[in-house]
Amino acid sequence: MAKDFIYLDYAASTPVDPRVTERMQECRDSGFANPSSNHVAGRLSRANIARAAEQLAALLNVDPATLIWTSGATESDNLGIAGAARFRSHRGKHLVTLLTEHKAVTDVFRMLEKQGFEVTWLKPADDGRLDPAMLAAALRKDTQLASIMYVNNETGVMQDIEAIGSICREHDVLFHVDAAQAVGKIAIDLQALPVDLLSLTAHKFYGPKGIGALYIADRPGCHVEPILFGGGQQQRIRPGTLPADLIAGLGLAAEIAQSRIDADLDHLNALRRRLWAGIKDIEGVLVNGDIESGFPGILNVSVVDVEGESLLLELEPICVATGSACNSKSQEPSYVLRALGRSDLLAQSAIRFSMGRPTTEHEVELAARRYREAVARLRDLATAAAT
Amino acid sequence: MSDDPYSPLVRKHFANTEHAGDLAGAIAINIDEQGVRLRLSATVKNGRIQSLRFRAWGCPHVIAACEWFCCHYEGEPGESLSGFRASDIMRNLSVPVEKTGRILVLEDAVRSLGQRLGGGSAP
Repeated sequence: MAKDFIYLDYAASTPVDPRVTERMQECRDSGFANPSSNHVAGRLSRANIARAAEQLAALLNVDPATLIWTSGATESDNLGIAGAARFRSHRGKHLVTLLTEHKAVTDVFRMLEKQGFEVTWLKPADDGRLDPAMLAAALRKDTQLASIMYVNNETGVMQDIEAIGSICREHDVLFHVDAAQAVGKIAIDLQALPVDLLSLTAHKFYGPKGIGALYIADRPGCHVEPILFGGGQQQRIRPGTLPADLIAGLGLAAEIAQSRIDADLDHLNALRRRLWAGIKDIEGVLVNGDIESGFPGILNVSVVDVEGESLLLELEPICVATGSACNSKSQEPSYVLRALGRSDLLAQSAIRFSMGRPTTEHEVELAARRYREAVARLRDLATAAAT
Repeated sequence: MSDDPYSPLVRKHFANTEHAGDLAGAIAINIDEQGVRLRLSATVKNGRIQSLRFRAWGCPHVIAACEWFCCHYEGEPGESLSGFRASDIMRNLSVPVEKTGRILVLEDAVRSLGQRLGGGSAP
């Protein structure tokens, strides 16, 4: 397929792997029946879903029965957070989360606040990381749930999920993780990690859009109340006819990801090093987050004395993001970068480069060159403009 | 694309800023408001605007608006600047309404420049 752009926005979405497309088409052709039906066609559809559950379960090292299919990470976050908070509300109504979470998380907490829950909003350090001791200090006797994301969608900052989860376990607090940017990209072993609820979506790891999952640990006190009603599917936790073709696509995408996670990470590390090497000596350029400990598929940079929207247009046809894709029409500076202590102007100049499997070294070199040229041109346009 | 936030004219003027720069011995106006920094420079000969230049720190609509202004007012009588309206640029460049404030900054700068030109010609 001929492209007239360079796509460096893999944190927003990834292309569907051709093998996944083929697998979904197979399901559409022969496994289209309602998986709740008891005839032979329905059983075939159910078998496709069961196979996908095993594939995803293998990626996460969990029992397939702990996975609930959803429409994507937003729904998983809603179900995991609101569902768990309501399920445990008779024990207490205090919840904890991070200021730099995705809107799919923060907006659920805002909604719960209006419904009588009390939320403690933790502020990360300037490198974006949460000090687990800060979380420990925020927990109370009535705390029921903490939600901390694995990989930040804007900065690539990775949190210490093991340490945070251990603190939650010690205090009998459920721990939800928005892992939309992590699943299929870094190794996640949920037998080893103290995580109770985990949200994911297929389109971040070369699967289709419109399908995701929520992992719910099989342990006492860990359960969610449904947020949708209308059928008996998935133990009534998430009713609705299951899209067997999308689920099969997610399953195969998970299997492919598992087979090449280390190779993908090596590839992304090399690309990020090359990209950063190409722009790091621009005067006034700053990394948002921590380049050493962050997810290597994301490089978020700000630059002084350059207007962000003009920078984005000048970078065309390089496809990058200024904030999260969900928020990209907003004129507001990124709340994530503001929470990291960036000024409005620096936050507004931020560009998120996110690389993926198909990205080539040639593409990141072109992007680096284009970025340098764009910064130089816009600074020249503004030089000596009013003080 | 139908949902392109930039009209073809905005793209054209943003990409081709032939009037970016300064003019020696010109009358200049500096303004810094609403997240926009502008400098307009003009030279006048026989009551007509001989040359216009701009410097701008702002969004693509602001930069394109500055270039559009310079393209359209070079060669015009100095007093024509008093008739400059932000709404003309908003309409011609299809600037979204939420950016009205930024284009009004340009209008302020143009009017100030007009007053300066009316008060005396460039040396």
